[in-house]
Parts: sequence; structure tokens; C-alpha cells
Amino acid sequence: MNTEEKFTVPAATLTERPEDYELKAMLPGIGKEDAELHMEGKTLTLKTHAKYQNPAGFKAVATEFEHVNYAMSVDLPEMADPATLSAKLENGVLTVIVKKRPETQAKKIDIL
Amino acid sequence: MNTLMNIDPWSFLDDLLDTSSRAFRTVRARAAGRFPPVNVLLDDTAIIIDLELPGKTAKDVDLSLEPQAVVVSDRPAETKDAETGKAANTTPAWSRRLELPFRVDADKANAKFTNGILRIELPKADAPSVRKIAIAG
Repeated sequence: MNTEEKFTVPAATLTERPEDYELKAMLPGIGKEDAELHMEGKTLTLKTHAKYQNPAGFKAVATEFEHVNYAMSVDLPEMADPATLSAKLENGVLTVIVKKRPETQAKKIDIL
Repeated sequence: MNTLMNIDPWSFLDDLLDTSSRAFRTVRARAAGRFPPVNVLLDDTAIIIDLELPGKTAKDVDLSLEPQAVVVSDRPAETKDAETGKAANTTPAWSRRLELPFRVDADKANAKFTNGILRIELPKADAPSVRKIAIAG
């Protein structure tokens, strides 16, 4: 079965924190070498190219999940600074962190 | 992906396996719950069980092997009760027992996490040799 052209949108969450945004996407079965991230303007695009094959000679008797490739694109929030983007793929979970632009951050103003 | 759970992924097993056998009956019964999805692969010499557990590592999962079944469960984070100092929250969030179609060799079993997928490989145990019993008298 050719799974290369079959893409699934991964389960993902985008969290806003005081200084940055965190995007987490579930990519079970995907290693660092299989994933590709692109940044174009404000749009972050993910695509994976894993080539999974069942071990030779084995027959599937139960299939509750499929080994698929993932694709998604996310428009980063206006306040995000794409230059600070960092990404990590660990145990099948992609974590992207992007800082907010300093000028957009809330400033504490001292009252004189 | 969870929608797979709702369409009874086990229905086709009836065609592949003798429905009167114990194999996978438990699995089928539990498929409706919230467990990590499982793939099962078979050949003549071994069974491979894959569990989709993104973000999990070896320390998050407990695995125990019976002669003809395998139990996989979540290992609750160790938290201690502030007052008593005893371990609290010891109930696994999920636990799944898969009955196997044949006896497996526990010594040669192995399990490994790769990119959030736990693969358990269980080689078939050697067929018990036929033993002759001398009749006394």
C-alpha cells in the first residue's frame, strides 16, 4: 500500500503563554528524519514522509490505527516572531515554540 | 483516529479466527473503551503488537506477560500523599489485556518504543513435546 501520498491532519494544540506560543502535534510513528517544517510568511507548514512497512511475512489481524503521514499548516498569531521559532520532535510529539515579538508584550508600568 | 474505535475494528476478526476460540475475545470486548489503539500482526512464529502512544516512553507503561496473554497498562505518575507519605494515585488510567492465539516464549519477548509507538514482539513458544506416560501395573 502506498501511504506516501496519504496525509492526515494531526491532533494538535496551540497554547498561548505570557512570552511565547507552543504548538504541540501528535505524530506517532514519525521520526525527526521523516518530518519537514516550512515557514512562509506567517504560515508554518508541516509535512511528513515516513515509509512504514509491516514486517515481512506478517499478516495484520487487527488494525486500530494506521501508519499515516501527517500534513498541516498553521497561521501563527500576529504577535509571534517567526525568527525565534524552534521545533523538537520527541517520542512522536512535535513541539514548536515561537516567542512573541518584544514590542507586543505587555509591559509593566511603574507608577511614580 | 479515534473514530476507528467506534466502527468495531474487531468485526473482521470473526472471519479470520475461530470465534469460539478465546483469542482476542477480551480485546474485542474492551475495544469500546478508551485505550490506546492497537495493531496486531501475526505470522507462524511470532505475534507483534503495536500500540500508538505518542509522547509516552518506557517509564510510562507497564507490561506483563502471561503464558497466553499480555497486559499493557499505563503507569501512573508516582505522587506521594503529603500527609501519610504513602504513594497515592496507583490506579492506571487504562489497562488492556490481549489474549494471544498461542503460547509465547516469555524469555524471548521484547518491547521497544520508537517515535511514540510501542512494539511488543512475542515469539511463539515451542510446541510442548508429546510425553508418553507409562501405565503402571
